[in-house]
Amino acid sequence: MKNTSKNITILFFGKLKETWKTSELKQTTQVNTIEELYIELLKECDEEPHKASIKAAINDEFVSWDSSINDNDTIAFLPPASGG
Amino acid sequence: MFDISEDKINESELRKKTRDSACGGFVCFEGWVRDHNQGKAVQKLAYEAYPKLAIKEGNKIISQAKEKFAIKKAFCTHRVGLLEIGDMAVWVGVSAAHRDAAFKACRYILDEVKSRVPIWKNETWTDGESGWVEQE
Repeated sequence: MKNTSKNITILFFGKLKETWKTSELKQTTQVNTIEELYIELLKECDEEPHKASIKAAINDEFVSWDSSINDNDTIAFLPPASGG
Repeated sequence: MFDISEDKINESELRKKTRDSACGGFVCFEGWVRDHNQGKAVQKLAYEAYPKLAIKEGNKIISQAKEKFAIKKAFCTHRVGLLEIGDMAVWVGVSAAHRDAAFKACRYILDEVKSRVPIWKNETWTDGESGWVEQE
């Protein structure tokens, strides 16, 4: 797959806001999948969250780690739910 | 129907919506903010949600409960924002012709909401510290 530039918005929730020290990032990225984006984002934080417990969403839908990223997508990383 | 509320949950309104003349039973669960958790004294709680995804996932859970159990109506509302001790954080109500389905569906909805709906709890303890609560 050709690596084209994509403008994306990344949202962090719960304790992941503290891991990345922000709730929202706007970025231009060359990566193609959620997994590649996550690996790229790890360079920007001091600790490595337990990936198996994190869920990802694109444009308000849960997605798998191999899902493709498109221009103008909003991508969210979610820690385990703790409501109730 | 699943909803997120920034205001106090109106349980009498929800109970009214759950009533149905074909139903012989109603089961309800109310989750309240308690004053302690995992050995620490809690002062207050803040719930944060990813609202769009939370409502989608919550409604999926209600639909699944209706497929799995012989129930008529089901509602669940989860509060977000800052809550004090004793405030209601979550309300689940189910009506059914018979009690067994209503009990089981109410438990199912609550358990699934707690594990699947993107809502997170941040506790402030009486020592002034605060932190995100891990899944129980």
